[in-house]
Amino acid sequence: MAPSSLDVVLKGSSGRNTRGLLRVIILCTIAAAAVSSRLFSVIRFESIIHEFDPWFNFRATKYLIENGFYSFWDWFDDRTWHPLGRVTGGTLYPGLMVTSGVIYHILRLLTIPVDIRNICVMLAPGFSGLTALAMYLLTSEMSDSPSAGLLAAAFMGITPGYISRSVAGSYDNEAIAIFLLVFTFYLWIKAVKNGSIMWGALTALFYGYMVSAWGGYVFITNLIPLHVFVLLCMGRYSTRVYISYTTWYALGTLGSMQIPFVGFLPIRNSDHMSALGVFGLIQLVAFAEFIRGYLPGKQFQKLLTSMVLLTFGLGFGGLVLLSISGVIAPWSGRFYSLWDTGYAKIHIPIIASVSEHQPTAWPAFFFDLNFLIWLFPAGVFMCFQKLKDEHVFVVIYSVLASYFAGVMVRLMLTLTPIVCVAAALALSCILDNFLVASTPSTETKAKATTDDKSLRSTRNPVVGIYSWFSKSVVVASVTLYLLLFVAHCTWVTSNAYSSPSVVLASKLPDGSQFIIDDYREAYYWLRQNTPDNAKIMSWWDYGYQIGGMADRPTLVDNNTWNNTHIATVGKAMSSREEVSYPILRQHDVDYVLVVFGGLLGYSGDDLNKFLWMVRIAEGIWPDEVKERDYFTARGEYRVDEEATPAMKNSLMYKMSYHNFQSLFPAGQAMDRVRNTKLPKESPQLNTLEEAFTSENWIVRLYKVKDLDNLGRDHSNAVAFDKGLKRKRATKHKGPRVLRTE
Amino acid sequence: MKLWSALFLLSSVVSGVLSASSTPDKFTKYQSLSRSGLVELDSASYEDLTSTPRDYYAVIILTATDPRFGCLLCRDFESEWDLIARSWTKGTKPDDLKVVFGTLDFDNGKAIFQKLMLQTAPVLLVFPPTVGPFAKVEGNPLRFDFTGPISADQVYSWIGRHLPEGPKPQLVRPINYMRIVSAITILMAVVTAIAVLSPYILPIIQNRNLWAAISLIAILLFTSGQMFNHIRKVPYVAGDGHGGISYFAGGFQNQFGMETQIVAAIYAVLSFATIALALKVPRMEDPKGQQLAVLIWATVLFTTYSFLLSVFKTKNGGYPFYLPPF
Repeated sequence: MAPSSLDVVLKGSSGRNTRGLLRVIILCTIAAAAVSSRLFSVIRFESIIHEFDPWFNFRATKYLIENGFYSFWDWFDDRTWHPLGRVTGGTLYPGLMVTSGVIYHILRLLTIPVDIRNICVMLAPGFSGLTALAMYLLTSEMSDSPSAGLLAAAFMGITPGYISRSVAGSYDNEAIAIFLLVFTFYLWIKAVKNGSIMWGALTALFYGYMVSAWGGYVFITNLIPLHVFVLLCMGRYSTRVYISYTTWYALGTLGSMQIPFVGFLPIRNSDHMSALGVFGLIQLVAFAEFIRGYLPGKQFQKLLTSMVLLTFGLGFGGLVLLSISGVIAPWSGRFYSLWDTGYAKIHIPIIASVSEHQPTAWPAFFFDLNFLIWLFPAGVFMCFQKLKDEHVFVVIYSVLASYFAGVMVRLMLTLTPIVCVAAALALSCILDNFLVASTPSTETKAKATTDDKSLRSTRNPVVGIYSWFSKSVVVASVTLYLLLFVAHCTWVTSNAYSSPSVVLASKLPDGSQFIIDDYREAYYWLRQNTPDNAKIMSWWDYGYQIGGMADRPTLVDNNTWNNTHIATVGKAMSSREEVSYPILRQHDVDYVLVVFGGLLGYSGDDLNKFLWMVRIAEGIWPDEVKERDYFTARGEYRVDEEATPAMKNSLMYKMSYHNFQSLFPAGQAMDRVRNTKLPKESPQLNTLEEAFTSENWIVRLYKVKDLDNLGRDHSNAVAFDKGLKRKRATKHKGPRVLRTE
Repeated sequence: MKLWSALFLLSSVVSGVLSASSTPDKFTKYQSLSRSGLVELDSASYEDLTSTPRDYYAVIILTATDPRFGCLLCRDFESEWDLIARSWTKGTKPDDLKVVFGTLDFDNGKAIFQKLMLQTAPVLLVFPPTVGPFAKVEGNPLRFDFTGPISADQVYSWIGRHLPEGPKPQLVRPINYMRIVSAITILMAVVTAIAVLSPYILPIIQNRNLWAAISLIAILLFTSGQMFNHIRKVPYVAGDGHGGISYFAGGFQNQFGMETQIVAAIYAVLSFATIALALKVPRMEDPKGQQLAVLIWATVLFTTYSFLLSVFKTKNGGYPFYLPPF
């Protein structure tokens, strides 16, 4: 048979080159797809920063660009947490801001003028392209199959579980952290395979970068030691493991301690103790292995083993003792609540109140991972086939991450990479078997391997697939699943994850799009109509946005470091005006911002978060604020005529429904979120006056009244202005006198 | 006649004087009645203990510990309540601060529950003294409502806040020596067992199939939302309102216990079909058998996935994708 022109390209060394080129092209295409599928929101709305935390990161980045790195490092921010302020430079993970700052300066150097906002918006999609590449590298280490890496990269590029945190505009730590996570794991696997100091040091370097970028670095800090520990337990100690682990631990710990926010935590916090413990253990094991070479007798070896076990036990006991006596800080609250799932709800309501800290129901898994979720167990099973060191890693990671993802919705993000790896392993195994053109001849029968260690299902040798029919059936159905996956991912991204949540979109009955831009409307009102240092009080969710968009000082924000201060705001919101007003005066509050969705049916409003305010306030002032008071006698949370007095008199209730009834014909006022009819009369506000209400009533701003000129209390002053005659009864049993200083 | 009325008057005066003179002793009387600081009350003694001239604090829990009432909270809190009473009695406290801890069970005090119109249990009431150094003007009891499982520390600090200022005994949890001893014994037994049985256990522990099975089961459980069931304590199944059973909860954020098991089973079938196609089928030597196996597994995969998509569609109404049969 004459060599066709195709054979020249596909065989020999030029064939290798062709395949390499193809692979590069495919990877570039995957990266491009990963970036472009995250641009829905930019195309639909505009280049805008999303949600809450990104607004702070954006503000911090701007500060970094304007003032340089050193003043960013020492940044004391007096415009948040009024009147306390926040040592921002020492309490944030600077990796994200520094990354975009560096990109900004490089682009400037190349004389490409790009606005810093566009860099921030596009950072997450850009890094997701890199994540796909890192995924290719990681998966290629796990499998001999040439297709596994490419499949994994493609999965990682478009799976909604990762897109949810990395669409354009979602300028959050996770944007770069997932790339760093995957790449660090790739370097770690490389280090374990080669036992080289270079790879170990590179792992440490990227681990340090990860520490500077995201609090989730603790996951790596615990996963790598666990991997080593399991390897030791399996009797797989080797110098490769020793070299890579000790290099990583020593350099990585030093690196992570350079971040001011982390500081001495790696040697003082229980979250990091497993890494330290395994570091000690591996020294012991290495020593024992070293001695064993020189000792002949079996007894000595037994003695040695028991010595190692004893020392390990003593060390472990010592650690426990140290953490009980308080030298080592106990588990941090967020980390602890992963193990004791009831812990946060009782002790740290502020953690439990965040919606992304809720447990995950099964539809969320399918929503975020589609058919990868059932390829995932199959892929993990295949790892047991060879079970080399790197496969052990996949298994541990899979089990641990699926537990975490089940406990907390946001940790779906750490599960996604390993699901992509495992699913790619499974799918590539199918494709490799069914996409072979040659048919096996029936005569050739390889010898059966007699390896007891391998799995029962894979003891026989691989023969191959005989008929074209079976091949086409399987390949066709797999192609169908893959196409469905792409359609699913696009649909999910477009529908669920591309809303900036600062700007909302809804469909009018005629199908046209209706943009709800109330937040920005209100924030720009604040920016233009209030003095530069007007203090705004709102629930903490909106703190970052007010700081970023309205540029006004806030009392509390999304960095929830001071529970008491948040509880103060909660108390002010949930108490009667007579109690709240002194609090507002004491904190110099000029404006109060509430989010109200009753007109539009926007369910994420403050009245729906109200119980958390009450709960958090109750944690500090159990005698003054009681959750029970906000429920009716039958245990219902109501806002209508039958709402409890505590509810009706609370500042939040009054601010939400102030004048709302005037929009409707008498007695017809309707709250579209809670689907209830409201009382006929609008609640009476005495100490605040309405300053601004946005177009769809989502954001309502109230100005805190100054003290009355005539020294009356506000309820009397309002009654006087309305022309009401002062009732005699009030003389004897008037409302409480305000004390303000 | 006059004599009778005079006698009656006299007797009522005497009884009044007697009862008045007995008030200071009410505290010592109930103190002596108590076992380890806790008084078991019934309707009559409850009325007596809380009757108005009192110079002591009465801290009373109204509870229903009998299994008939199914009050889990009451039974859980019983031991905690004991702990509070015991800590108070044993600890050092100001001499003139008198506190009586009492328990009124529903079985002994139905009348009281009716009088107070209590719908739920347990309820904790604190009656401040009406005479004596710590007397309060308003003699109304303070009420503590239980909203969920609660520990002794929280209740104790609440009580402490409503007692007058001053040193109060710490809440002391007794060290459970029995538990420590048994833990050590069990630990040693386990170590011994491992040492002795290691030749038999090691092959099991080192069995790769076993570990594969364990990991897969764990992954299937976690990814099908078992942790959600565990944390939120969802019902296993629920009725659909027409006398039938609805297996799937409506809404994206809800699920039933049975539902997650069905989903886990679906995932397991799909994974197993994948494994069979990827690992088992290429190892079959008989062409006909292989053809058949491929067809069977591919069909199983397709139908089950189609079913999964249809289940997901019921959870998420707007989901546009489906595969033929379902």
